[in-house]
Parts: sequence; C-alpha cells; structure tokens
Amino acid sequence: MLQYIVKRLLGLAPTLFIVGVLVFMFVHLLPGDPARLAAGPDATPETVALVRQDLGLDRPLPEQFVRFVTGTVQGNFGKSLRTKRPVSTEIADRFMPTFWLTVTSMAWSVVFGMTIGILSAVWRNQWPDRLGMTLAVSGISFPAFALGMVLMQAFSVQLGWLPTVGADTWRHYILPSLTLGAAVAAIMARFTRSSFVDILGDDYIRTARAKGLAESVVVFKHGLRNALIPVVTMMGLQFGFLLGGSIVVEVVFNWPGLGRLLVDAVDMRDYPVIQALVLLFSLEFILINLIVDVLYGLINPTIRYR
Amino acid sequence: MKPQLRTLALGVLSLAALTAGPAQAAKDVVLAVASTFTTTDPYDANDTLSQAMAKSFYEGLYGFDKDMKLIPVLAESHDVSKDGLVYTIKLKKGIRFHDGTDFKADAVKANFDRVTNPDNKLKRYALYSNIAKTEVVDDYTARITLKTPFSAFINNLAHPSGVIISPTALKQYGNKDIAFHPVGTGPFTFVEWKATDYLKVAKFDGYWKKGYPKVDTITWKPVIDSNSRAAVMQTGEAQFTYPVPYEMADVLKAKPELDVVAAPSIIVRYLSMNTQQKPFDNPKVRQAINYAINKDAIAKVAFGGYATPADAVVPEGVEYSVKTGVWPYDVAKAKQLLAEAGYPNGFETELWSAYNHTIAQKVTQVLQQQLQQVGIKTKITLLEAGQRVEKVESWQDPATAPVRLYYVGWSSSTGEADWALRPLLYGESWPPKLFNTAYFKSERVDADIKNALLTTDKTEKAKLYKDAQETIYKEAPWAPLVFEKLLSANNRKLSGVHTMPDGSFNFTEVDLK
Repeated sequence: MLQYIVKRLLGLAPTLFIVGVLVFMFVHLLPGDPARLAAGPDATPETVALVRQDLGLDRPLPEQFVRFVTGTVQGNFGKSLRTKRPVSTEIADRFMPTFWLTVTSMAWSVVFGMTIGILSAVWRNQWPDRLGMTLAVSGISFPAFALGMVLMQAFSVQLGWLPTVGADTWRHYILPSLTLGAAVAAIMARFTRSSFVDILGDDYIRTARAKGLAESVVVFKHGLRNALIPVVTMMGLQFGFLLGGSIVVEVVFNWPGLGRLLVDAVDMRDYPVIQALVLLFSLEFILINLIVDVLYGLINPTIRYR
Repeated sequence: MKPQLRTLALGVLSLAALTAGPAQAAKDVVLAVASTFTTTDPYDANDTLSQAMAKSFYEGLYGFDKDMKLIPVLAESHDVSKDGLVYTIKLKKGIRFHDGTDFKADAVKANFDRVTNPDNKLKRYALYSNIAKTEVVDDYTARITLKTPFSAFINNLAHPSGVIISPTALKQYGNKDIAFHPVGTGPFTFVEWKATDYLKVAKFDGYWKKGYPKVDTITWKPVIDSNSRAAVMQTGEAQFTYPVPYEMADVLKAKPELDVVAAPSIIVRYLSMNTQQKPFDNPKVRQAINYAINKDAIAKVAFGGYATPADAVVPEGVEYSVKTGVWPYDVAKAKQLLAEAGYPNGFETELWSAYNHTIAQKVTQVLQQQLQQVGIKTKITLLEAGQRVEKVESWQDPATAPVRLYYVGWSSSTGEADWALRPLLYGESWPPKLFNTAYFKSERVDADIKNALLTTDKTEKAKLYKDAQETIYKEAPWAPLVFEKLLSANNRKLSGVHTMPDGSFNFTEVDLK
C-alpha cells in the first residue's frame, strides 16, 4: 500500500509539468495586454512601456517560460501583476478561508445528504423517500447566489442573528457553508439513495436478513459499507470542486477565498496568479483522487493495490 | 452557569474582542466600497478608489474640495514665471509626517524626483514627466521647472496621485515597499491592510489642522457584491457605501436610519464614431446619429433616472466647461440628414461597448433600438477588459482600426478641460497613444488645445477651450449621451463623507454622532 502511494506521488511531477506547460501557453494566448490593463484607463504609451518592463513582460516568451518553470520548481511563483505582492502570499491568505469553508460545507452536507439518501432507500417509494428527494431536487435546482441572498436577507438583515460578510468568526461560516453545501447535500442524497437501492437488492443482504440479523445491522453493517464506494468517489470530486473556491458564494458573502482571486486574476490577465492557481487546483485534485483510492481499500479490503 | 447563559456570555465576549482596541469608546467608521485596493501608493495607482483611500494618510501640495474646486493643502501659494516654465511654491510651516519628520521642501523634491525617474517605473509617470527638475530654494520654498509650458500644472499637482510621502520613509522602505508602509502628513495613520478583507487607519494625533480628524478610526471595507453592500448598510455594519446600485436605491431609502444621496459627477458617457471610416467620415451622418438618440430615454431606462442628458462635451464641474446644449431628439431630421449624406436606407455597422456590465448592456440596447428607427442596423458587442485593450486601446494601425460606434466614458481626474479634451479629441491622441477612439482630427481644435496649454492667462484659456468645445459640438465626432449621478448611501449618524464629482471621496469633515 505504501509502495502504491509513493508510486502515485512520483507520478505527480510529470502531470504537474504538463499542466504547467499548458496553462502557461493558454494564459499567454488570452487576448489583451496585461501591461496595458495594469497601467490603467488613462495611461500613455510611455507608461505602458514602463509597466511592461516592470512586470518583466518585455522579455521573449521562451525566457519567461524558463523563468516560470525554474521559479515554480523552487516554490517561487513570482509577484502578482496587479498587487505586486508575492503570489504565494496572495494564495496563502485566501487558502485557509476557502479550505475551512469547504470542510464545513462538506461536513454538514455529507452527513445530511447521506442520512436522507439512506432513509430514502430504506423506505423507498414511501413518504420519507418522497420528502427526501423533493428536498434534494430543490437543493440542486435552487441557484446558489439566490439562496445566499435569501439567507442573508432573512438571517442577517431581518433577524440580525448572523453577520453578513467576512470570515472572521465561526458565525461567519454558517450562512456561506449552508449556501455552498446545499447542492452538494442534494447530490450526495441522490447518490447514496441509488447506490443503496442497488445494494439492498443483492443476494448477501437477503442472506443477512435470512440469518435473522436486525434490520439496522443489515442496513449499516452490510449495506452501508458496500454502498459507500461510489459515494466516496463523488465526495472526493465535490471536495475538489469546492476547494477551487466558489465564485458565487464568495462574491455574495465577500468571502476572502480563491474563487474571487481567480476571477480577478483572469480579469486583469494576472499571469503568475492564474498559473499558480491552476497548478494548485490540479494538485488538489490529484491528491484527493489518491486519498479516495486509499479509502476504497479501507472500506472494502478485497480491493488490492498494485 | 447555565449552558445558554454561557453561550450568551461567550458571544458577548467575542463581540467585545472584535470591537476592542486602543479606541474602545471610540468613533469607528466603516466605509463599504466596491472593489479591493490595488496599492496604497498613489503614484503607482490608476484606480480612483485606491487613490481616494490613500487620502486617509496622504496629502498633496494642492487638492480638491468636495465640489472639485482647487485648493492649496500643503502649499501656501505659488508663482509662475512669465514663460510658464518655472513654478515657485511656498510651503506651509509646522507640518509633520507620521514618522516625526518635518515637512520641508526636501520632501517635495524627493517625491517628484522619484516619480520623474523612469527607473522607478511608476504608473503615474506620465502625469509628471513634464517636470525637468525640482529644487529646494529654502526650507519652505520649492521650485519646479517644466520642460514645456503646461498651464494645467497646478491641477496635476492637485491630482490625487500627487501626494507628498515622508522622505525618511521613502529612504527606509524604498520605491516598492513604501506601498506597504505608507507614511504621509494626512489626518490618519496607517494601521493594517489585509488585502482580502479591509484596510484600517487611525487618527493621527499630530495632525496639523487643529481639531481634525473628528473620528478615531476608519475601516475601508471592500464588499464586491452590490446587494451585499446594501445589506451591510441595513445591518449597520457599515456607515457609508458607494456606489449604490440604482435598483437598490428605493430599498435603502425606505430605511429611516439611512440617507441615499445622488450627487452630480463629471463622468460623461458618450458614443464615439470612427471619423476615419465610412460612413462616419461624413459629418452629416454623425449629426444624424446625434439627432436619432433620445438621451432622456437612456438616462431613464439604463440609469434609473440617476443621470442627466449631456448638454456639453466637457461636463459642468470641470474647469472651462462650456454648455453647448443637449442635441435635440428629432428622427425626421436624422433621416433627412442620412438621405443627404447618401444613405436614405441607412446602413449596417458595429456598436461596441467598453464595459460588459448590465448598465452598458441596457445603454447599447436602447441605442440599437433608436438607431434602428432611422435605418441604422447595429451589431452589439460588449467588450471584456482584455478584448477592449486588444481591439481598441492597443490597436496599432489607425487605418485598419475595427472600432466604429463605441460606447465609453471618461472623467477628467485633474478637474480641468485639458485632461477632458486632449486624451479624447486631440489629433495626436489616437490609439494606441491615448483614447481618441473617434480618430477625430481637427486643426482648429488641435490648435486650441495646444495654445491653451501654453498660455497662463485665464481669460485667453477660457476663450480657446470655448472655441474647441463649440467646434467639437458642430463636427460631432461623438454623440454625448449622459452625465452620470453618483449614488451613495450613508447612515444618518455619519456626516462629512461625500462622493466627489470624479467618483473619488472627500472625508475631511467625517464625523460620527
């Protein structure tokens, strides 16, 4: 198993290199001159030339690429073209708020979604199922920005219970994580339900029941474990997406996260920030996939790694 | 303690911890603004917001009051030599920087030497590149010599970027790092800048204007989403916000503790026509388009009534502006002019917008409809910032420039006619140099603009700018559309924070009840 993890980690380097090359090419293909954008709306050509020099954009593209690669290898992503702060600081400042928001959203939505999913599967086509799936469908179809604004209007403006914007205390996390987790909870519920329904019809479940085991043991010990495999896969994917920062939620709640940073960076053609963020997102996805694969083995010991 | 009580106590404690600080019973003002700050260094800033915020800790030799009138700040007075080249500036005495350095002429020299040195690569280089040298005459007299006469020079000094940074701090932190350690003479000292969250400043006890500032701290809080900005005003988390979206105005007005203020601005929104290309090379076509547009409708539909039809090329409030009147809305006349120009059935063309926000979308749609009425079919494209730079602002060859009808806006940040006309309508300001997107060139206007910069005589200047504006009105390289109004909201407890006509803020009188 350890050998497997090491092997996978070694495979990281070439993947990230390819991603790096692609993202470097793509950002430089975007229309629009970052020096012109950074110089501002009423800048003269001399100023633009000065800004271009300042940002190192007057160098030939291969040279910029070599600089990017050597810098990245040493962990130096350069400075943001927009704020002139080191890219690593820009990202570090925003990583934790996004990370904790992702964790809190995932935590409640996984618990809530799986509970609904299990209930719906066990009482399939009865009222708990109908209620649960209605909730799930509403969760998927209700747009996040509308949900966020409704929650804010109700709990912050009208009732005054919770703060509106910012990420300072745990109370700031409640509304954004509710907003962000709603869709995930809905997806988890539907996934758990369908996977559970399949499993509950399997032979070994019938055997377990025939042995005279309590229904709760059948459901949780024999059913849940086996139903978890596809659910965990989905969980990993969702986690990865949320870690990229949700633009909508971050804008509505003024969340100091990575999603907004990426939007700002693309707007201003802030090459170093875009490149570093894309690399970070790819890395996150690869790591999460690895963790998911390891989890498979823990859930179902019959799965072997080579 | 019962569990509920304990949570309550904890809640109160954490609230107290949040608001605690050196100024406990203090007057803490929170201003909610629309975007994050790019820098605290006004010489390296190109956005109005960062420069407005920097006025917390920086002051210039000259400045603008809340109505955009030029006033001396750190300067006492100035003399200009006959040839318009040498400016001798007397400085106020007894002023100190936050770090204890005395404000003297050497500070003036240090700052202008810094910005005029191209090696420092500052974004405001162009505004001051006309300075040949800055000299210290005595402690309280500085002499600035220009390369060429430039009569709007004092306005350039009053521009929000032209501040005096402590020379000691400049030396200590260097050209780049000064942006993270601003030290000026302003009413507030810099406390903390959390780029993602807020920028905080606190009262400077040694401020030279006695009795000011009247509040203890200001927190500049960027809140990007306009609905969320309205929400923080309603919860009382902020006392002032700008801009307020037009559709939120009524909601905020309904709150008894809030005031919504619509202030006049010098922001002009206009439609430029590429005069080098057919059919816009024909003045009759350009006039026809002016006749075809109902400016009232645009102000009402797209700006929710918070705009006035443009009655000039240079908005009122900018020095030397002349009212030429609103171009009348007359469809029949427009059709007749088109027929005379040889386009009785109209033509097809491109309509681009420099912005892709909802207001621009509404404006271009109204324009499209109205032009349709006289037979001009337009294809709308809302340009994203990068595309705008690529297709308009950096286009190298004027002869092939793809821009035709172009919806854009401008505000003269120096409050003077030169910066309202020269970048936009001067024959040498075609892109990529500056922003003459009409590719307009008139010898008469060029001569007026050029001569106005050479003369120091105010009446002569006024005459030249009047002639330029009237010629432009007749030649019609633009269809001026509206002057925007600036919509801000403030808590009734807060006073003294104003939006200035250029979209900046004035908060010298800020106070909290």
